[in-house]
Amino acid sequence: MTPAFTDADLARRRAASRRLGWLLGAVVLVIYLIGLFIKR
Amino acid sequence: MSTATTHTAEHPAGEYHGGLLRWLTTTNHKDIGTMYLTFSLIMFFVGGLMILAVRAELFSPGLQLMQPEFFNQLIGVHALVMIFAALMPAATGFANWMLPLMIGAPDMALPRLNNWGFWLLPPAAILLTLPFTLALFGIGDGALATGWTFYAPLSVQGGMGVDFAILAVHILGISSIMGSINIIVTIFNMRAPGMTMMKLPLFAWGWLITAFLLIATLPVLAGAVTMLLTDRHFGTHFFDAAGGGDPILFQHLFWFFGHPEVYILLLPVWGLMPHVLSTFSRKPTYGYKAQVYSFIAIGLLSVVVWAHHFFTAGMPVPALVYFMFSTMAISLPLAVLFFCWIATMWKGAMTFETPMLFAVGFIVLFGIAGLTGLILADVAADAQYHHSYFVVAHFHYALFAGGIMGVMTGVYYWLPKWTGHMYSEKLGKLHFWLTVVSFNLTFLPQFFLGLAGMPRRIPDYALQFAEFNAISTLGAFVLGFSQLLFAWNIWSCVRGGPKVESRVWEGAEGLEWELPSPPPHHTWEIQPVIK
Repeated sequence: MTPAFTDADLARRRAASRRLGWLLGAVVLVIYLIGLFIKR
Repeated sequence: MSTATTHTAEHPAGEYHGGLLRWLTTTNHKDIGTMYLTFSLIMFFVGGLMILAVRAELFSPGLQLMQPEFFNQLIGVHALVMIFAALMPAATGFANWMLPLMIGAPDMALPRLNNWGFWLLPPAAILLTLPFTLALFGIGDGALATGWTFYAPLSVQGGMGVDFAILAVHILGISSIMGSINIIVTIFNMRAPGMTMMKLPLFAWGWLITAFLLIATLPVLAGAVTMLLTDRHFGTHFFDAAGGGDPILFQHLFWFFGHPEVYILLLPVWGLMPHVLSTFSRKPTYGYKAQVYSFIAIGLLSVVVWAHHFFTAGMPVPALVYFMFSTMAISLPLAVLFFCWIATMWKGAMTFETPMLFAVGFIVLFGIAGLTGLILADVAADAQYHHSYFVVAHFHYALFAGGIMGVMTGVYYWLPKWTGHMYSEKLGKLHFWLTVVSFNLTFLPQFFLGLAGMPRRIPDYALQFAEFNAISTLGAFVLGFSQLLFAWNIWSCVRGGPKVESRVWEGAEGLEWELPSPPPHHTWEIQPVIK
């Protein structure tokens, strides 16, 4: 259990998390907007 | 040991604000987990008080305590509070507290998003309940009286309580989506070296599927209630038949979210159960992979079965048959989970501490929810049981015995880890037995009321239903007041009590049990390596 979370490693993990977070947020927005085009 | 400066830059040691400001600005996963769980407990009592008023009214036939409009408001807000403000935040609280500890991460991946996610909840809860208070001052006509389902056209015509609830649901949805995004990215990106996906704790797997379900379905609910809002105030006719709209469209959209929501509430608990059962059976979890694949199968199936909630609204026969069989198909992966839970206990060196009692109680009572769900999934039988007390009893076996008792299992399992103190086992066991007995006293009679034809959501009823309703109300009051033991036990444990070791329970396995109890403010600054 010796290696620490280095600055670089944690920064890389957080950057990857932010990218995936934005992507998931975009998916949410797309699903939400699809509702406006539903045909009755 | 090399230096670990990284995330202390995110949370500089010794630079915490004191008092309220600490809680407003914290980005620490443990603080935020504590806030979620505290909020959930408070709202559990708020929602509970509402339904005790409802049960008091139903104690005997006739109108005793309230007008039907207020009765309807209490029922709808009770459900919304319990689902969105009690159960979901409890599960998110567990995730916040435990996921980083279990997967060897120093914190959640997006700590500020985490803080926002929580602090959206209190205003939303206020919005949900404020119309009751406003009505006392003669403003508006109270909270939404449509039931939690917002069915059109009633919700298109309802008072301003509907607008408050629509806004509250939007905010609660945004909060949940923020939480879900954070959980997904944390599980994908923050795991300790060596922790492959198939070594992930089952609790994390349960939450991962839950988070994806939330991402896929909450926007649909948000879209539906936005359309409802525009129908009410901006002249659209999405759900208004008079303007060429379709009220049934609302039911489709609502339940596309609403049915997966059941699994959103239950999957985190299903993920927790194997940990508890394995700990107190002193055996490894049986069928790890089978449980993971069952979670995935249930998640996938849950988004294609929604219309069984409104068979009676009318739909083509092929659609009825499809939704019936697809709903029944969910029982297959669910049965796999049950078998795995039982097999984990099989021939184990079992002991029955409070968390284990709740876990076993959960399996038995949730089993009843599953079996009665099969009955309701049958199109022909559902024609009789729909909108009856049979449905009310069924979903309380699912969401109280399955959801809330699952949350109680988790609290009793992890509370000593969180606080460093052991709670009163005696009080915990008393709480369990009072809860189980009074829960059955409350809801078992409701199956028979439903079978005899008593409809739900009515404040008055025929004389033939009087005895079972009286029993149900007595049970509900015992159930409600016995939860004070739960709150007292938690409070006492937070304040003090016998100190516990890192590995609180003899048979507990996992990274979280290698940390001190309570864990320090920052954990896993040094990466654990999983072999």
